[in-house]
Amino acid sequence: MEVSINAHMPGLVARVVVNEGDQVKKGQEVAVINCMKTELTVLSGYDGIVKKILVKEWDEMQVDNPMIILDVDDR
Amino acid sequence: MIKKLLIANRGEIVCRIMKASRDLGVKTVAVYSDADKNAFYLKQADEAFNIGPANPMKSYLNIEAIIDAGKKAGADAVHPGYGFLSENYSFANAVVLAGMNWVGPSPEVFRGIKSKCYCRNIANKVGVAVNPGTLSPVKDVDEIFQFVNEYGYPIFLKLDRGGGGKGIEVIKEEGQIQEVFERVSRIGLMAFDSSDCYIEKLLSRPRHIEVQFLADHFDNCICLGERECSIQRRHQKIIEESPSPVVTEKDRERLFEDTLKLARAMGYQGAGTMEFLRSEDGNYYFMEINARLQVEHPVTEFLTGIDIVKSQLRIASGEKLELAQKDIKMKGYAIEARVYAEDPVSFEPSPGTIKKLRLPEETKQLRIDHALEENATVPPFYDPLLAKVIAWGSTRSEASSRLSEALSNFYIEGIKTTIQVNLSILKSQNFKDGDFNTDFIENLSGVGR
Repeated sequence: MEVSINAHMPGLVARVVVNEGDQVKKGQEVAVINCMKTELTVLSGYDGIVKKILVKEWDEMQVDNPMIILDVDDR
Repeated sequence: MIKKLLIANRGEIVCRIMKASRDLGVKTVAVYSDADKNAFYLKQADEAFNIGPANPMKSYLNIEAIIDAGKKAGADAVHPGYGFLSENYSFANAVVLAGMNWVGPSPEVFRGIKSKCYCRNIANKVGVAVNPGTLSPVKDVDEIFQFVNEYGYPIFLKLDRGGGGKGIEVIKEEGQIQEVFERVSRIGLMAFDSSDCYIEKLLSRPRHIEVQFLADHFDNCICLGERECSIQRRHQKIIEESPSPVVTEKDRERLFEDTLKLARAMGYQGAGTMEFLRSEDGNYYFMEINARLQVEHPVTEFLTGIDIVKSQLRIASGEKLELAQKDIKMKGYAIEARVYAEDPVSFEPSPGTIKKLRLPEETKQLRIDHALEENATVPPFYDPLLAKVIAWGSTRSEASSRLSEALSNFYIEGIKTTIQVNLSILKSQNFKDGDFNTDFIENLSGVGR
């Protein structure tokens, strides 16, 4: 099953810290959003494999914009 | 006098600079990013130019776009405000090369002061004390070992060309030296194109005291008193006041002397601020220069009656300072509260839309600098500063009560603000006693957790 990790705060993408194909754990940092000059960590809500990265550094984010698509084992 | 001024900034400081310009009969040119296209102050400018998308790298930090706007508008001067490109050599130089007047020190000054060691060396040369540490970047970890053998722990390892609080780390024990040295050097290389770092001894319970000065092109330089800026959260100031509760008349004379020596040695013209740290035992150490207008300048304006922005414009126009040091009379007490768009407990940012707004009434003793209005958006892309509320009083407690009353009547709906934090600070016994240092917020119960 595919799920997306969305921006929880608006701002600019400071960096994405995972690569496509990486295995990630629930609660792991996957990206950082710069909101009003403060860096906020974006955490994965699931265990899974990074299928697609949808954003790059300096992209403008609104709340709930999808940032990363994960493949999660839904058995 | 300057005829048409481009203001290369956003928010409250644009309103502030436009006010001074209007009073002097100077036309204004505003610039804005897509995120600020509906800002009300744009209508008050004589002209306004879009300089790019919300991302500040592509707008407020975009030298080419701003210079281009200046040329199109036929501006003859640029005021950079604070933050963004205000202390950027390339921008100041591009302004001068485009035939416009730079409201600030000559671009060459920025080239020098970018290096903290350059500033420490200048201070050392003219006999102004700097925080114990190295005057030049350290070459290797051996040099750090040598230093701590002589002076002990804890120490700061700081990037020579760092900024914005980046690349400053504390070393408390031998085991950290190698790791911290490598990490700070790496951050420097990535973020500031220089891995140079130097050592400073950590002061215990320091206070942040700064001196505002004005220097013209005729070797005249005057000091406009000090500001106490020790109360900070995340190394950003939140309450500032003048005079400082701890600076004695004798300290002040010494700080003024040091400021003049440093400003002259740096070849500085315009408005500037020398920042000092005061150690618990009452010694002052020069820390750095802010080569621009500062957020907290209204505090000084209240005490001296001098309009610092007008002074900047006059100095940039080549005028001589009209006042000598003996003409500067400091009257009363002024305190500024910075209202940030942040959660008052966690200090997490809080961008959004202002649904309702009610501001306290401005008087001769109460000033509010802001760029707020109902239904305006507070974008997530820039600094969280929303407004500055500044109160004057004939005593410190009068200024403080006036400020508290104003903050209690400052009502914003739609976003979270630090107003409750500002009020708690003013109410605390340590603040009332003037007994605090840069750790104040961490020790204030109920905030910053």
